Amino acid sequence: MTTKRKALPKGIAAGEFDKAIKELKTILGGENVVVDESRLAPYNKIMMPVPNEQHAPSAAITPDSVEQIQSVLKVLNKYKIPVYPISTGKNLGYGSAAPVQRGQIVMDLRRMNKIISVDPDLCTALVEPGVTYQQLYDYLQEKKLPLWFSCPAPSAIAGPLGNMVDRGVGYTPYGEHFLFSCGMEVVMANSEVLRTGMGSMPNSNTWQVFKWGYGPTLDGIFTQSNYGIVTKMGMWLMPAPPDFRPFSIQYPEETDITKIVEALRPLRIAMVIPNAVVIAHALWEAPCTPVKRADYYTGPGAIPDEAVARIRKDHNIGAWNVYAALYGTKETNDANWKIIEAVAAGTGGKIVTRENSTSKALDYRFDLMKGKPNLGEFGLYNWRGGGGSIWFAPVSQAKGSETLKQMKMAKDILAKYGFDYVGEFIVGWRDMHHVIDLLYDRSDEEQTRKANACYDELLHTFAKEGYGMYRANTAFAEKVAATYGPVKRSVEKKLKKALDPNNILAPGRCGISL
Amino acid sequence: MKCSSAFRYFATASALIVVGNANADSSGKWQNSQEIYNKVCAYCHEANVGPVITGRNLMPDYIKSVVRNGNRAMPAFRESEINEAALAGVVKLVSTSTAVAKK
Ligand SMILES: Cc1cc2nc3c(=O)[nH]c(=O)nc-3n(C[C@H](O)[C@H](O)[C@H](O)COP(=O)(O)OP(=O)(O)OC[C@H]3O[C@@H](n4cnc5c(N)ncnc54)[C@H](O)[C@@H]3O)c2cc1C
Repeated sequence: MTTKRKALPKGIAAGEFDKAIKELKTILGGENVVVDESRLAPYNKIMMPVPNEQHAPSAAITPDSVEQIQSVLKVLNKYKIPVYPISTGKNLGYGSAAPVQRGQIVMDLRRMNKIISVDPDLCTALVEPGVTYQQLYDYLQEKKLPLWFSCPAPSAIAGPLGNMVDRGVGYTPYGEHFLFSCGMEVVMANSEVLRTGMGSMPNSNTWQVFKWGYGPTLDGIFTQSNYGIVTKMGMWLMPAPPDFRPFSIQYPEETDITKIVEALRPLRIAMVIPNAVVIAHALWEAPCTPVKRADYYTGPGAIPDEAVARIRKDHNIGAWNVYAALYGTKETNDANWKIIEAVAAGTGGKIVTRENSTSKALDYRFDLMKGKPNLGEFGLYNWRGGGGSIWFAPVSQAKGSETLKQMKMAKDILAKYGFDYVGEFIVGWRDMHHVIDLLYDRSDEEQTRKANACYDELLHTFAKEGYGMYRANTAFAEKVAATYGPVKRSVEKKLKKALDPNNILAPGRCGISL
Repeated sequence: MKCSSAFRYFATASALIVVGNANADSSGKWQNSQEIYNKVCAYCHEANVGPVITGRNLMPDYIKSVVRNGNRAMPAFRESEINEAALAGVVKLVSTSTAVAKK
């Protein structure tokens, strides 16, 4: 069979590459080493506003064991060929399954998908990279285990390990996923296998219950980095509460964000509301309701506020829509519900529950707050059409004045390039992930160019004000890393040199490379 | 005092569960095409997010190409997620399906 191939790893001659591929085939079997361009297509489907070629892989490999990964790394070290590990590979809007740099080999761990253990007493799980949230959900259902996990919006097709290593977020009380992970197994570039925390100790049975171990806690350096290939992850599960009471509170004015944040922060910090509250703008809510943009505006540029007001009126959408839930017993929730009612009344918000809503947006949000997989949020992509998406995600203090300032800054810059402010705030304990989906039509060259320029301006304007990204797409990794200053980067580079001297693990990821 | 729901909240189930490979859905192996359709496709294509794809006599090659390449906002699916044999089953299911009743 002839193979058609275009991309090669940087600085590697075709002959050398072929030799390496041959050795990889011996280790993995021919069918698990993909070089044919048509079969590589799913590894090159991106939503970012840069050409596909910039992120084209040279090959994809699908090992199914730690031992295979160890052997593969020996070959890659020998040839100095870089590899980009993915788990479930659905990092949509952040780079999808494509490598950070053209020509890297994608190491796709989706086939390693065992749920190794679940401990219903300690409420923990140990999973491999290829496990999806749907699979874990099915497992817990089948076994009738009253345990919940937290998942991101694309839950059905994404997975806990890949999400956690990119420090993703979900919507239950365990929504800050890295915080609720406990113990990792990592294959290092030199093929050593490290177990973090208590896992380093032979015969330890506390790997999934105590994070820190002895000495430095290493887990953090394997998130948003390229220091190792994570092959197992422990995670904490939450006991399903006897009473789950999700709700939404709608607010009429964009400027209400100030009082919303001021009112909710104390409840969140004190854990009256224990989950990652979302404050979604009308233009996030609308596409997921669903509302068609073209029914309200077909002119050039960003949708005017006047059209947004009409949408809100026609579809009962708030300028801001708060999503949160109470988790507890009937007795505790009854007591806390009174607080919620008082806060809503005191701030001019309208409480919405499932009984008085027909919105699809409400349905998927309520499901996410109990960790039930769905893909409802993909409704966002019907707003502009054309499959272009890039997440702009600065961190904000949970203070009203800050959120309003960030919202205005973002909205102005987006409008300058003709894009709508489709944003939400995800409330951490004291921070907010201000997440904006920069939606554009990727089949339109002009819009794609503008989306790229717009992200660039957003990034640098926010950085000037001291606002940094919580996470970023692969096309802008270098620029985002640069906003965090030189010392951090120099330490990261030293670590890279020590742990991966041949620079074979995802060089360029989060701006780290030799 | 009667056994309240709070008791169940804090009660525990059983000892450590270690999964064997034989297990149904949670083994990570698709049971059949219908399961793939239900747990991947239907989340969008029967939820007003993506277009309805059943009952439209869509051409098998077209379905296959969209699954592997993605299409605008639709993500691409790799062989490691849905292998060639499994995809053939889904393609058959979708291309020969009659329209599903609206839920
Ligand atoms: C509509 C929509 C809504 C979204 N909502 C959310 C949301 O609510 N919360 C959220 O967090 N995200 C969200 N996302 C972004 C993204 O889709 C999810 O974060 C998703 O979980 C990431 O993909 P994944 O889980 O398949 O991880 P992967 O794609 O497998 O991994 C992500 C990255 O981590 C690294 N990596 C993966 N595995 C390994 C490994 N084993 N070793 C070392 N490095 C590794 C790689 O660099 C990889 O690119 C959303 C996307 C869309 C389109």
